[in-house]
Amino acid sequence: MKKSIFALLVAALAFAAIVAAGTSGASTKSEASASTALVKCGKTRTIGFMGPITGPAANIGVEQSSWAKYFVSKYNKTHKKSKIKLQTEDTQLGNPTGTAEALKGAQALAGNANVLALVGPAGSNEIVGVTKTLKDAGLGWVSGSSTRTTLTTDGTRTGYMFRTVPPDAIQGTTAASYMIKTLKVKRVYIIDDQETYSTGLADTVQSRLKAAGVSVTRDGVSQQQSDFSALIAKIPRDTQLVYIPWQLTPKGVAFGQQMKQAGKGSIRLMGADGLFDDTFAAVGSNVYDTNFPVNPKSAIIKAFKKSHGGKGMYFGAPTYAATQVVAAAYDKACKNGTATRAEVRTALKNTKIPAKSSVIGVALRFNRNGDLSTAHQFGIYKSNGSVFNPVG
Amino acid sequence: MNWSLFFDLTVSGLTLGSLYALIALGYSMVYGILKLLNFAHGDVYMVGAFLGWFALHGLGGPLNPDFAGAAVLFLMFIAAMLGCGVLGVAIERFAYRPLRNAPRIAPLISALGVSIFLQNSALLIFGASFRDYDTFDLIGVKTYNVGTNLFFSVPQLLTVLSAIGLMAALTVFVARSRLGKAMRSTSFDREAASMMGIDVDRVISATFFIGSALAGAAGVMFGLVFGQIYHFMGFIAGLKGFTAAVLGGIGSIPGAMIGGLIVGLAESYATGYLPQGSTFQNLYVFALLILVILIRPSGLFGRAVIQKA
Repeated sequence: MKKSIFALLVAALAFAAIVAAGTSGASTKSEASASTALVKCGKTRTIGFMGPITGPAANIGVEQSSWAKYFVSKYNKTHKKSKIKLQTEDTQLGNPTGTAEALKGAQALAGNANVLALVGPAGSNEIVGVTKTLKDAGLGWVSGSSTRTTLTTDGTRTGYMFRTVPPDAIQGTTAASYMIKTLKVKRVYIIDDQETYSTGLADTVQSRLKAAGVSVTRDGVSQQQSDFSALIAKIPRDTQLVYIPWQLTPKGVAFGQQMKQAGKGSIRLMGADGLFDDTFAAVGSNVYDTNFPVNPKSAIIKAFKKSHGGKGMYFGAPTYAATQVVAAAYDKACKNGTATRAEVRTALKNTKIPAKSSVIGVALRFNRNGDLSTAHQFGIYKSNGSVFNPVG
Repeated sequence: MNWSLFFDLTVSGLTLGSLYALIALGYSMVYGILKLLNFAHGDVYMVGAFLGWFALHGLGGPLNPDFAGAAVLFLMFIAAMLGCGVLGVAIERFAYRPLRNAPRIAPLISALGVSIFLQNSALLIFGASFRDYDTFDLIGVKTYNVGTNLFFSVPQLLTVLSAIGLMAALTVFVARSRLGKAMRSTSFDREAASMMGIDVDRVISATFFIGSALAGAAGVMFGLVFGQIYHFMGFIAGLKGFTAAVLGGIGSIPGAMIGGLIVGLAESYATGYLPQGSTFQNLYVFALLILVILIRPSGLFGRAVIQKA
């Protein structure tokens, strides 16, 4: 009996090894065929869109979706021979099930032969989760918000991933410089939410502050946590600023409200672009944030605000740029009426959109890593009690 | 010794512990009578939070309520407790009663199924986005400074006092009322109680009603103190309520209360004093559960029972 069980185990392990070896080869073959499969472009072209339309981060997803749809409506009005439509996949960023929804969305887009590239996903952790699926399908993607620095520098997504926002290495540096030079803080408490986006930013800011002689305490919370009272109790009352580079606005809002409950509402609070939302600004007038440097006076933004009840939804503006980049790549690749995903990726790499046509105020061109070669700073914003206004 | 930190952590721990105690009571009461671990109980707590939210918005919302703040809060509690009580009775009737004479694993699996059903029903009906109680304007973000930098807030005070009131009412009810006596008899020996003329089905339904109502109240308190509710919030809270029930002695009502407070305080002190406390607070809480089970398997107030083979 024992011998037969042992033999069965060995056979099962051997079978698993053979399957693994076989599928790794198959993966490379299927990636090659998906990349080069020729698709008729047709009059209506489908661009994939991945964003958190529902879930804890729905506030950013809705903004991104609004800006993407705004670009699509403008494009379709000005183009007679070709139209574009979005295939939207809801990633539910911040859901307790992790990046499972993002993976499902990526698989759905990969399975649609008419999708030649996509806009999104929003979260850095989502991109880590869907990279293999998208690469295997030969799909390139342009994100309007994932800022973790290593996404484009670790070499695993070169030629596939592009983004229309500067990376966290710039955001973290901008935030730290503002704290040191303008706010002149000496005691800072940093709390990350344990996701890749947050820990990267927290690490950058912490190292810069320590190098400048600022006293820094570091802590962490889970994204599923709602009770911050014990953590807030640990924050010394002489702390001058609490930095929370979190991904989920509702959590940032809850934290700010619990700080007030604990009698620590006078301590400055600073978030990162993940918390750039009016609800976070409403926590109080001592709340700061960093966000992409969009120009509120730009004609595109003014027109968007006019058609959206006066709301700028600035967080979503780089997604307009991302959709613009993908649409331009489709136009280039589809010149002869057919295109492959590989051709669209090449077109993405060679994007050249001038600054005057770009909502983010700089020309849209990418370096070999997929980062904008033209954007070198983040904006600093301060709340007036209800909305964020640029201060630096 | 930083007394300010200690006081803040104690207040936080008592607030959290009050919620866990209310959830643990439901676990203990049901286990005491049916010897069933009702894993859907945490999700009943989640439903209570949503019922409270809908009641709040049905009464005009936090910024423009139709009645005075105290009246709105009272009605929110009533709505959540009644709604969850009825839900608890329905769960017992359809998911557990048919399996009463089945092997013990069957109702346990059924409980897990009900839990998943409730979570996903909430996801379908309420959506995946967080809902905000936003009651700071309704009840005020008043913070009381009771000494040199010793603070507590109105929602925390409300939570602790409400929980104490409900637990006291339950204790008196179980000790003094006819139904309470029937519940104690049924938990001691269900067959004998039935032979003595006690309507066991009615007693069990009442137990589920009361336990679920307490969980519903805890759900509303959670929304008032921490602001946000979502479809998955019952999962970890349910596990911690279960931990509290086991720690106090599963089946023991005073044990559930004390166990809840201990778990809440342990979580709070771990966050405040232990390394990486905030990041690993769940680790410390469940490590406490393992420790208690190893040292005293019947819990602090439980009794070791000899079972016939």
